[in-house]
Amino acid sequence: MIIPKEVKQKPLEYFSLLLALIIGFISYLLIDNTPIRLWIVSCVAVFYFGWSLYHHQKRGDLQLSIIVEYFLIILIGIVLIFKTLF
Amino acid sequence: MLKKIWTHYFIPQERNNHRATILKPTFLLFFLILYLLNQSIIKSLVTLKPGILGYSSEITAQKVFDQTNNERVKLGLEPLTYNPVLSESAKSKAEDMFSNNYWAHNSPQGKTPWTFFDTAGYKYSVAGENLAKDFYDTDSLLKAWMNSPTHKENIVNNKYQEIGIAVVNGTLGGIKTTLVVQHFGTPLVATTQKNTTQKSNDVVEPEVVQSSETVQSPNVLSETSQNLVSPLILSKILSSIIFIVLVVVLFIDGFITVKENIHRLTGSTIGHIGFLVFIFLLMLFNQQGSIF
Repeated sequence: MIIPKEVKQKPLEYFSLLLALIIGFISYLLIDNTPIRLWIVSCVAVFYFGWSLYHHQKRGDLQLSIIVEYFLIILIGIVLIFKTLF
Repeated sequence: MLKKIWTHYFIPQERNNHRATILKPTFLLFFLILYLLNQSIIKSLVTLKPGILGYSSEITAQKVFDQTNNERVKLGLEPLTYNPVLSESAKSKAEDMFSNNYWAHNSPQGKTPWTFFDTAGYKYSVAGENLAKDFYDTDSLLKAWMNSPTHKENIVNNKYQEIGIAVVNGTLGGIKTTLVVQHFGTPLVATTQKNTTQKSNDVVEPEVVQSSETVQSPNVLSETSQNLVSPLILSKILSSIIFIVLVVVLFIDGFITVKENIHRLTGSTIGHIGFLVFIFLLMLFNQQGSIF
């Protein structure tokens, strides 16, 4: 199995992201309440955005173009799930 | 030429600065606009041409009626008889929920499920109600009811002889949806006659079984929802296509950049894949509809 160098160098960062996604996913499935589900998805999205800022700050390449890229990826995810399911 | 265009959009290479073009912000914005445009078109079609798209194309009265009786037969119970008066009662309940904007057995004005039985003129010895909304296929609907003890109790209750079903489209809480109401009952006359032969002096008091909401869709009340395409399914298909395209291209992008050890000024491909897969899984595993 190929583990990207990026992950090998920052295992804790990627592990925290994976953990947040898994917790978010399990919580979403277990809690059958629409407002709480919206809150869970929003929290994961905010976490991912915060994670990206930290990750690139540490790498020393935090630039506007990168922030815009993360923002758009998160926006796509949020809009698609909110518009489709809620 | 075609190959050149294809690789330019999907494969990281020198010509696209080692980033597949569709992963660049301009294209990400394009995906977003495409999806929102699609949603607007669907919304307009549902509003302006209600005959083109349905709310719950998979749910039909016949299917729900058949599957409900299948569940009863499995347990050795008599199948229920369809009663149009009960369907009328169920339809009134659904319309009342839409017009008064509530999702419950009892209305804010104090109407109980039994009010609708009485108004329709159905005299019962036992009665029950199941409700459901937002389902788009009958199998999921029946499965949800059968997994809920209170709803199951209505479906497989041997005290019931008849059933009425309503599937009605409308807007509840600002969201377009399909409400399904199932009314169960046994006519008072039948019980009285039966008891009369056994104990002629007994007075049979109407018995009300605890209500629970079930989804049922009678043909007569759900003409507009048959053989139509569900907007929810259309949205899910488009969302899935967008997600799959993005994730596949991200995988290719990640694989090539790792393999060729390319350093670029972009976001984390692994992070993007993780986040998009998370959203995609939520959409896949999200249970449709709710019962009450």
